[in-house]
Amino acid sequence: MSSSSDAKAAPYSQTLLAGLWRENPVFRLLLGMCPTLAVTAAVKPAFTMGCCVIFVLLCSNVIVSLMRNLLKPHLRILMFTLTIATFVTVADLFLKAFLPRMSETLGPYVPLIIVNCIIICRAEACASKNPLVVSIIDAVGMGVGFTLTLCVLAAVRELLATGKVFEVQLMPEAFVPWAAMSMPVGAFITLGLLLGLVNAATGKKA
Amino acid sequence: MAKKDFQVSRIRHFIEQSWLLITASFFFGLLIAVTNAGLSPRIEQNKINKRNRLVGALLPEAKNFVSLDTEIEIESLQGKKEKVEVYRAMSAADECVGWSFNAAGPGFADRIELVIAVDARFEKLAGFDVLSSNETPGFGDQIKYDYYRDQFKGAPAGALKLVSIGEPGTIDSQIVAISGATVSSEAVVEIVSNSVTQIKAQMQEKGIIGHVKQQ
Repeated sequence: MSSSSDAKAAPYSQTLLAGLWRENPVFRLLLGMCPTLAVTAAVKPAFTMGCCVIFVLLCSNVIVSLMRNLLKPHLRILMFTLTIATFVTVADLFLKAFLPRMSETLGPYVPLIIVNCIIICRAEACASKNPLVVSIIDAVGMGVGFTLTLCVLAAVRELLATGKVFEVQLMPEAFVPWAAMSMPVGAFITLGLLLGLVNAATGKKA
Repeated sequence: MAKKDFQVSRIRHFIEQSWLLITASFFFGLLIAVTNAGLSPRIEQNKINKRNRLVGALLPEAKNFVSLDTEIEIESLQGKKEKVEVYRAMSAADECVGWSFNAAGPGFADRIELVIAVDARFEKLAGFDVLSSNETPGFGDQIKYDYYRDQFKGAPAGALKLVSIGEPGTIDSQIVAISGATVSSEAVVEIVSNSVTQIKAQMQEKGIIGHVKQQ
């Protein structure tokens, strides 16, 4: 009994962990680069963007998984886009209603989740081929992996650009803020360095 | 007969292929409509709160904003006729302390939407703030910065002129452009000049400003 439940649990945990590290959307698959570079100047917007992506990814994976047997192969991308666009619009409306200032900070990057490759990639690679539970676990793993990556990147940038993280002063007073880290150049440099670190840690060669 | 069968089979094929898409579109549309209907009052209230907060900062004595009953229509920078909602800013003693309205026009990257405030006599600008814009970070978005906006505070409520060299601290009808963002600076000057001159003329014509003078 226990061995059979272990056998079932193993793929679920593997699916969950894949998104967090082995197939991390940003560090390993290099997907979703637009929000990764655009909204990581501070941790708060990065975290909010991550939560929006988790919501959209979860909803789109659930819907796509439920209708996977009804999908016509040549219309599947259209169905994925329709599903994703619906939930992105809902997320955008919720942000405008309950977090108006954050909605302004994120600007066009919330509607742009529609073209975020992570979501359409998971719909195509996982949800359209797997049952509901696997699709949900995959969405949670990938979504949390994306959010954590965005937060790490944002924490490094915010710390070097302002000396603070989550508005808590962490750097000594003598620290001179690097304004460039809050600009696009800071995003590219930080992402490049973190990718290099991850590749070095995993022994991956270019 | 054969032609009819062919048509029926074509319709059947179309339905077989697209029923899921049509059904899903209907339900997704419904979901968006319901969400929008439920949240739009709150979103509108957020916009009003933001506007009041911004105008409140420009006209510190204002405690309440009353919409003007008279219809004001101006010609936008793109040549379209647009209705403008003008608000009378009232103090705690219920006196008119200024006017505010929204104005928009094309910027460098996207449409710039401003909220503009003028004094009670419509003679001097009380300033402007940016409601929405997508100008280039670090360059065009400096239209939101105090050093640029402060040039408008106390400037004559009429046609303004953008200059590339000058002293931003001097309050007159000349606005010094942001270096590296001339298009955004010019867009703001044009939006302010265009809306203020037209609204002022119409309010004078309708005797609204004269009424304030008597107060």
